[in-house]
Amino acid sequence: MPETKTLMALFEDIDPAADAVDQLRLMGVGNDQMNIISGIPVAEAMLGRPRQWSNVPRLALGGAVAGMLIGLFLVIGTPSLYPVLVGNQPLIPVPPSVIVIFEMTMLGLLVSTFLGVFLDSYFPSYTPKEYVPEISDGKIAVLFTCPVDQQAQFIDAMTKLGAQSVKPAEAVKL
Amino acid sequence: MGILAKFLQRTPSEEIDDPRQHLMLDPRPRGEMNAMVMESMHTTSWKFWVVAAILSLIVMVCLLGVWGYLIAEGLGVAGVNRPSYWGIFLVNTVFWIGISHAGTFVSALLRVFKAEFRRPFTRAAELMTTFGLVQAGLSIFMHMGRVWVTYWLVPYPNERGLWPNFHSPLAWDFLAISTYLLASTMYLFQPLIPDLAMARDRSTGWRKSFYRILALGFRGTEGEWTHLRTAMNIFAFAILPVMFSVHTIVSWDFAAATRPGWSSTIFGPYFVVGALHSGVAAVAIVLVIVRSTMKNMKYFIRPEHFNAIGKLMLVISMGWAYFFFNDYLVQWYGGDKFTHILLEWHEAGPVNWIWLLMLVCNVVVPWLFLWNKKIRSNPWAIFVIGLLINVGMWCERYVIIPLSLTINRMPFTWRLYKPGVEIPLSIGTLAFFALLYMIASRLVPLVPVWEVQEGQMAHGLRKVGKAVVPSVSELE
Repeated sequence: MPETKTLMALFEDIDPAADAVDQLRLMGVGNDQMNIISGIPVAEAMLGRPRQWSNVPRLALGGAVAGMLIGLFLVIGTPSLYPVLVGNQPLIPVPPSVIVIFEMTMLGLLVSTFLGVFLDSYFPSYTPKEYVPEISDGKIAVLFTCPVDQQAQFIDAMTKLGAQSVKPAEAVKL
Repeated sequence: MGILAKFLQRTPSEEIDDPRQHLMLDPRPRGEMNAMVMESMHTTSWKFWVVAAILSLIVMVCLLGVWGYLIAEGLGVAGVNRPSYWGIFLVNTVFWIGISHAGTFVSALLRVFKAEFRRPFTRAAELMTTFGLVQAGLSIFMHMGRVWVTYWLVPYPNERGLWPNFHSPLAWDFLAISTYLLASTMYLFQPLIPDLAMARDRSTGWRKSFYRILALGFRGTEGEWTHLRTAMNIFAFAILPVMFSVHTIVSWDFAAATRPGWSSTIFGPYFVVGALHSGVAAVAIVLVIVRSTMKNMKYFIRPEHFNAIGKLMLVISMGWAYFFFNDYLVQWYGGDKFTHILLEWHEAGPVNWIWLLMLVCNVVVPWLFLWNKKIRSNPWAIFVIGLLINVGMWCERYVIIPLSLTINRMPFTWRLYKPGVEIPLSIGTLAFFALLYMIASRLVPLVPVWEVQEGQMAHGLRKVGKAVVPSVSELE
């Protein structure tokens, strides 16, 4: 296994960054060995990258189910645990129960969606990571791993495609 | 009329045709936009501190001081008494919940329908939601009186072996408002993360630590953007029914009672439209203030945005008028004796000016002025109209709550509601809202820069025949 190095190529625009992704693939860098960091969301299709997987929808669904179960407990469980029968009134009236179940389902859905982002993105994470502040100024960083002995070739290829800088990626305190 | 005619002729036609008047077609480098937003947060003149000091003083005296007096003396110092047990505290609750609807409406609904004009002011609107709900919550506690026994509302089986009744309309309210407060705060925070990261990269000292903690370590990797966008899309769709449910449930607090003026099957949508009416008008007011008082905001918030908001205000005003008339007609036609007396009381009673002011501000003013693009595009005209709409909507809630409670089926209890400490407390909540917003404007990037840049990337000019027209690409 050859020794590898992580480089960061910084591009001004999406087009040269997309070309860089193609070039890296031609030079043998796999999709899992590169990452794109940008100040705006760039769709995978624009850069020719594989579609990203997100667990957020599944977590949201799980949260909705959990919320609904809590709602059911509130409207069916609690009056059944301590029944107070009032003349001619149902112990578990359906229309008000629908309201409570709806609110709890939506609460579960929204809270789990929010927490899903934290789980999937490993937030909060304050450990040093490869990053440069220019990214939030609109630059697009292509982060990739290459063999140490071919580093010069990779830097040359990225520079030819219009990279403003190609440097070994440094983990900085965010 | 001479002034109006002169005003209408003021804008030269060539200004209208210049594509650079649209923010989306007038792009600037991202770094420059970041610097503009950061400068707007950091530039604080002495006027800011003077206004902040005055607002703080009002909050201390009118909110904390008077509330303390209310707690010490009891609800007797408020105007609520038989038959109007619900007074201005609940008027304010309904009013502030209505204001809070604007953030979600502007942000979520316009996001779902991909309305591009929303981009620069979604955050300013979302902040209103959170701060509006804070005032609504405070007003409920004021209405409660004995706030020290609030824990009685917490759902746990008490010593009598009973759970609170979760089928009660008060439980619906609690669940709906707390769900909405949580959801809108999360919805405010999610799209803020990339801007907090931007602020982190450009700050020093305590601000750096503040943004660093709140940015959660966001860098902008593909995965982070994917998760964030997925969540924002889920939120945009899911928070809308919650928003509709909140004001509908608030309306059911009234409609579920068999009282003259309240027992109505269309109160739900009537309240929702009313909430949007006051909320969107409040967004317009806030945007005018932000644009005129904060540095560089004239680049982000332009006449085109006031034009778009003005159209929304006009359409919503028509919707409100429709529901008002629908509600009025059915009650008037129903023939119930006490309902007729109530309607006459509204229209010709001792405080009928409130009812008339409601109609003038909510219908006459918007319909008279908002049809005109030049008026809609003028920030200060929109500011005044927005202010009047909010006065009108506050009057609407006043008519529905204490005025309608005056007339019931027991004439010997009829008595006109006269507010007491409610008035300074109302001023206090208004000042608290403004103060929270002022503080937020110094700490939170009010413009979502990444959303603006994304929009500018998606927009371009296209030649169709001999005309050059704006076009939008689908980037997602």
